[in-house]
Amino acid sequence: MTDDRWERAMREMAEQYNEPPEAPRDAMWVAIQETRRARAERRTGVRAIVRHPALRWGVGIAAALVLGIGIGRVSGPVAPGPVVASDDTQSGAYRWATLQHLGQVETYLSLVRQDAGAQRVQYVEDDGARTLLSTTRLLLDSPAAEDASVRELLEDIELVLAQIAQLVDAQTLEEWDFIDDSLERRGVMLRLQTVVGAADGAL
Amino acid sequence: MVDERELIARVRAADPEAERALYDAHVDRIFRMAYRMAGDEALAREFTQDTFVRAFERIDQFRGESSLSTWLRAIAMSVILNGLRKVKRFRQREVDLDAASGVGAPGRIAEPDLRDRLRRAIEALPTKYRTVFVMHDIEGYTHQEIGDALKVPVGTTKAQLSRARARLRESLAPFAQEWAT
Repeated sequence: MTDDRWERAMREMAEQYNEPPEAPRDAMWVAIQETRRARAERRTGVRAIVRHPALRWGVGIAAALVLGIGIGRVSGPVAPGPVVASDDTQSGAYRWATLQHLGQVETYLSLVRQDAGAQRVQYVEDDGARTLLSTTRLLLDSPAAEDASVRELLEDIELVLAQIAQLVDAQTLEEWDFIDDSLERRGVMLRLQTVVGAADGAL
Repeated sequence: MVDERELIARVRAADPEAERALYDAHVDRIFRMAYRMAGDEALAREFTQDTFVRAFERIDQFRGESSLSTWLRAIAMSVILNGLRKVKRFRQREVDLDAASGVGAPGRIAEPDLRDRLRRAIEALPTKYRTVFVMHDIEGYTHQEIGDALKVPVGTTKAQLSRARARLRESLAPFAQEWAT
């Protein structure tokens, strides 16, 4: 009897848990219509992230790296000659390419994070992640990755970009949480900003 | 009363009146559930709006295998639970179950205090238990409806409800003893 009374009292009190007010129907309807309109405009508008000026460089860097790695592989087994200067030049070129690439990645991830935070899909839907992923992998296969800290950063970036490349539409945008977690856990943005900022300062 | 299939057909054809009719028919229950789970009007509004934005975008994917309300509820629960996960991470807020259990029962228990303890005990439940508890014991959904919304078997929702109630009983045990005397 007492138990019944207790259970009943609990049930009644639980009904007051986060008791909702009346739904603001009209205000929410207006917001829904605005969101839908904005999404529709975006979908018919910009589609190709590659067209973003900040990311056009990515394709060029990738091409340069393919060429550089190709030349390196062809000339690799040849016995060392008196061309020390060309090694320096190559090393400088890789460093330049790496810094350019890290700058593109930083820009791209910032744009995607903004999009994900606002539940938009503009940058997530584009091919930016795949383009940058290809370049990241080329850099990982290049002398640029001989530096342990650069290699580690590139590997973290590779993981994040591979995850983003799989986010193809709004349905999977929810997966962004896991990617964002991974970015935060690994401190990728901070490390990118540090490297890119230091490079900018040195130029 | 508007036939649901006809309404959906009109929504698919982008008829604004039909869209509003669909919204009006379901918004209250979705907002209630969002508010119960979020405990915050701004969040509840955001979750409700997001649910309908997604529903209208995906209406072509609705096959009619379940009722429209079941389909909408599944979208809503996905939006709410994902949204709460984000909020939880940002707020870095964890309610301590021990705090809710009231170590050292007070001599005399005023009802507002008990109500507050109950609220804290509900919030301290793991999300999946709290979701099922709120849906079943507070909002009155059946186990079948909950299972469809959360995409889990009915047996799972029953087990989770049972565990949720057991945890609440345990957390509020000192109050129950006081109540009995």
